[in-house]
Amino acid sequence: MKRKPSSSTGEEAEINVSPLIDMVFILLIFFIVATSFVNEVGLSSNHKDTANSSTENSPLSFELPGSGQVTSNGTPIELRQIAPTVRIAAAKSKPSILVKVSPGARAGLATQVMDQALLGGAKAVKFAPLPR
Amino acid sequence: MRKRIRYSEDDGKESINVSPLIDVVFILLIFFIVSATFVSLPGVEISRPRTETAESLERNSILFALSGQDEIFHAGKKVKLREVPGLIEKASKDRAKPVVIQVDQWADATIMAKLVAKAGKNNTSVSIATRKPK
Repeated sequence: MKRKPSSSTGEEAEINVSPLIDMVFILLIFFIVATSFVNEVGLSSNHKDTANSSTENSPLSFELPGSGQVTSNGTPIELRQIAPTVRIAAAKSKPSILVKVSPGARAGLATQVMDQALLGGAKAVKFAPLPR
Repeated sequence: MRKRIRYSEDDGKESINVSPLIDVVFILLIFFIVSATFVSLPGVEISRPRTETAESLERNSILFALSGQDEIFHAGKKVKLREVPGLIEKASKDRAKPVVIQVDQWADATIMAKLVAKAGKNNTSVSIATRKPK
């Protein structure tokens, strides 16, 4: 008889979920903000790593001597002439470009050569470091 | 009189049912936890070269940086070239992640070539971070 009120309150008792919801919302917002933080743009050479022997007789190659020039088979070439050159080569065979870089060449220039080659329709661009 | 009392009693007990809300929020939370992959930034300022064919790269990737002083950085620390494949393996765990290399335009191109070759050893796709032209 005495316990009746206590049992009735026991039935009505509920867990207070407000702090739980607060916490879950904070975690949710944290994960929403934390994802997709870095958004880079860039170039993908998308070459599959082939045997090194096949790169030697690549149809088209550019050289980057340390002087800051770009040469194609020994003759100097302007940066903006690379894309048309690659486009002509792309009409005949599968365009796979090899860029031979010498010590002292700038990475910015090498990236721009790759950019121009991709602009000309090159499928793959590979860098090959030359020994000093 | 009796009616009014019952009304006030009902008002006191009335509350919004939050269970569906919690369900939805939990599902969202689990989704974001699973999809969250924390990208560790290399931690150096890089002056990226400008290129015309720049396209948006995969967001969930392993970042390396090649500074203007020809030093390689990963996750805020300077690393050596021969440590790169191991770091990629450690960072990609079970699923293969693409590698993005932030190259300073004044870095040495041979170091970049070696870094790209090392990073792409296990058929990993390697990209070079650039800027879009003005």
